[in-house]
Amino acid sequence: MNLERIRDTEKLDLCRKYFYIGCFCLPFVWLVNFVWFFKHAYKRPHFAQQELIRKYTTFSIIGCIIWTILIVAWNIVFHYYRTSYAQYADYLSFVFPIGYK
Amino acid sequence: MGSNRPPVSSIELEDISAERRQRSVEPRRSRSHRREDEEKELKYGAAHVIRLFVPVSLCMALVIFTMNTIGYFSRDDGIYLVYTPFHKKTDNTAEKIAMSFGNAFIVLGVVVVMTSILIGLYYFRFYKVIHGWLLLSTVMLLSMFTTIYLQQVFETYNMAVDYITYSFFLWNFAVMGMICIHWKGPLYLQQIYLITVSALMALILIKYMPDWTVWTVLGLISVWDLIAVLCPHGPLRMLVEISQQRNEPIFPALIYSSTIIYPYILFGAVDSQIPDSDVPLVPSTNSTAASSTAGPSNSRNETAVRFAPKRKKKNQENKPLMQRTPESSNEQPRTQQRRSQPSASNQAVEVVEEIVEDQGIKLGLGDFIFYSVLVGKASVYGDWNTTISCYVAILVGLAFTLMLLAVFRKALPALPISIFAGMVFYFSSREFITPFMNELTIRQIVP
Repeated sequence: MNLERIRDTEKLDLCRKYFYIGCFCLPFVWLVNFVWFFKHAYKRPHFAQQELIRKYTTFSIIGCIIWTILIVAWNIVFHYYRTSYAQYADYLSFVFPIGYK
Repeated sequence: MGSNRPPVSSIELEDISAERRQRSVEPRRSRSHRREDEEKELKYGAAHVIRLFVPVSLCMALVIFTMNTIGYFSRDDGIYLVYTPFHKKTDNTAEKIAMSFGNAFIVLGVVVVMTSILIGLYYFRFYKVIHGWLLLSTVMLLSMFTTIYLQQVFETYNMAVDYITYSFFLWNFAVMGMICIHWKGPLYLQQIYLITVSALMALILIKYMPDWTVWTVLGLISVWDLIAVLCPHGPLRMLVEISQQRNEPIFPALIYSSTIIYPYILFGAVDSQIPDSDVPLVPSTNSTAASSTAGPSNSRNETAVRFAPKRKKKNQENKPLMQRTPESSNEQPRTQQRRSQPSASNQAVEVVEEIVEDQGIKLGLGDFIFYSVLVGKASVYGDWNTTISCYVAILVGLAFTLMLLAVFRKALPALPISIFAGMVFYFSSREFITPFMNELTIRQIVP
């Protein structure tokens, strides 16, 4: 999908759809939204739909950053308390490291 | 305008056709111009061939890397696919060969049945079923096989991961994958996802098929590919013809494209509601229909699509089912589509004039998968000579196939030449070249 080849109204539509999809706990979609439409939102000289595209990409990146902070915080907590609350951590563990031989 | 030629590749129509139109207007055009055009065609074809090398190499590199670092995929756990029931441990060579051929024929049978079902569905226009099937397959690939893979990666590297983080990551990965593959997404991301999915599939195939069966399956699938694409009543050829008759594109979801397909025609004159069939999708079969347009404006990128069977198998524990997309499907030649819809909008005519397509290359995912299976299996034996010689053989085979494509301008199967070259090189490397080099090294006779 090359953004250069579709009309601006469709670009806006795509940006908006990506934004709404990302609202379902999908910061990766928001990140892709931001990166993909970055040039059109911020670097291009003004066109009709630019404000809206800019709005969506800005919200996307802000949302993505918030999610990243949340995930990192959770991981820090998990790994810090993993050994001390071993029993509960085991319920949460997807993989069990076996240590080194 | 090349009307007596079979409209198989857009090279004729997009690239040459424009010049032919001019030629009809200026009949005194010299022969050298025509030769120039053909040269330009071949050069563009060559550029696109190179463009295909990168993703194929990436996929193979991923598989080789995984096979060498994560022991799970090269370990023989005794669990195999349902389709390979003969896996008794024996030392008798004849028995091994017999078992591997038996397995391979069963796998081939399943493939044939699945392809026929798919063709049947396509013929009777059960498009929703096909789309649902494809969606389900992709979801399974993206979630289940990724989970297996990542679980092994985490175990190998001794990392603790919790369910919450992992499920979050998987959810993001899978949804983005579905969006990129089946809907619209950035091209690079789509290519990355397709490569990843092919590598995963190849790893599963290597892991869950008994040793010798891999080779027999590869051989038989290549032969099947040849038959199915080239024989007049081959299922894949029929699929191509049906799609040509109906003027429809075929399953654009599972094809790797090196450039971009434009579902909409630019230039405000044309209505944006143009369905996908308007998009010039070059015929694709297991080979790529390379088409290149040496045009001044690269406003459009068209890729010749090649479909290869994309097979998925669930784990042994669940009820395995094999899904396959058609091995090769010819999409209608662009011109056919264009010509068939002149009444749809007369703006289509302007579009033809102005849009010069840069034909990219499309390769079916099944080709990626089988190439990677071959190279991955070759790398298990720990010998880099063998691995690299197989890799080079496959790429040479691919280049040769694409060259044949430029010559024949027909749908060609991509598997046979590369797979047979790869197999020849694998066995000869393993049996002759490597021991030879070892002996030379031992005796310190440096070549």
